[in-house]
Amino acid sequence: MAHHPLIGYLVWAVLFGALFAWEGLALSHLSNYVPTLSDTFRAIMRYPFGRWALFALWLWFGWHIFVRGWHFLLRA
Amino acid sequence: MSSYLLRSDFDPMVGGFVIIMVALAAGLRLSRRPGGTATRTRQDQASGPVTAAGWRRLAGHVAVTMLGGYLLLMVVVILYYYVVARVGGAFIKGAFTGCALLIGLATPVFAAASLLTEQFRARAARKPHPPAQPDPTR
Repeated sequence: MAHHPLIGYLVWAVLFGALFAWEGLALSHLSNYVPTLSDTFRAIMRYPFGRWALFALWLWFGWHIFVRGWHFLLRA
Repeated sequence: MSSYLLRSDFDPMVGGFVIIMVALAAGLRLSRRPGGTATRTRQDQASGPVTAAGWRRLAGHVAVTMLGGYLLLMVVVILYYYVVARVGGAFIKGAFTGCALLIGLATPVFAAASLLTEQFRARAARKPHPPAQPDPTR
């Protein structure tokens, strides 16, 4: 496994932390102007291009997680 | 080291992000034009049992979404490969075949899940509701 500088991992941690914190704020209803992730996806999916973009994102994610670098079971 | 890091990680990441955001912004702008192709709301949808025409409409809706998403991703992948970073291996071929495989695997599962969900919903709707019992405390 390649070694990367710690700051690179920290940036990812901060980005994901910010994402969950923002969603938590939206769900807590403390702030009326923050939409939840579901609200955001619903707004995007009202339009065909938004649905295409989300499906493309889903495909990209699934391709990386399940298909790229995949080997048939028990293949040497 | 820092220039290598920028070239290998930061530039591709920013490039991919910018491509997706520009595509999203363009789509949003197009669909918000007067007379745009915004879809119907949930209030327009029928609440009764799903008819054959309804299934056909769902199949068409799903097919259009899958095809549009697949083509959009392929455009992004090709732009990414030729404009941002020449990823090693059979990247483009892998993207075309891998994503098609993923769609081929997911579509029957989605169809079966939709069919089962509708059957459960219809069965629950057919079940007679018990009559209201009188309140024993009165």
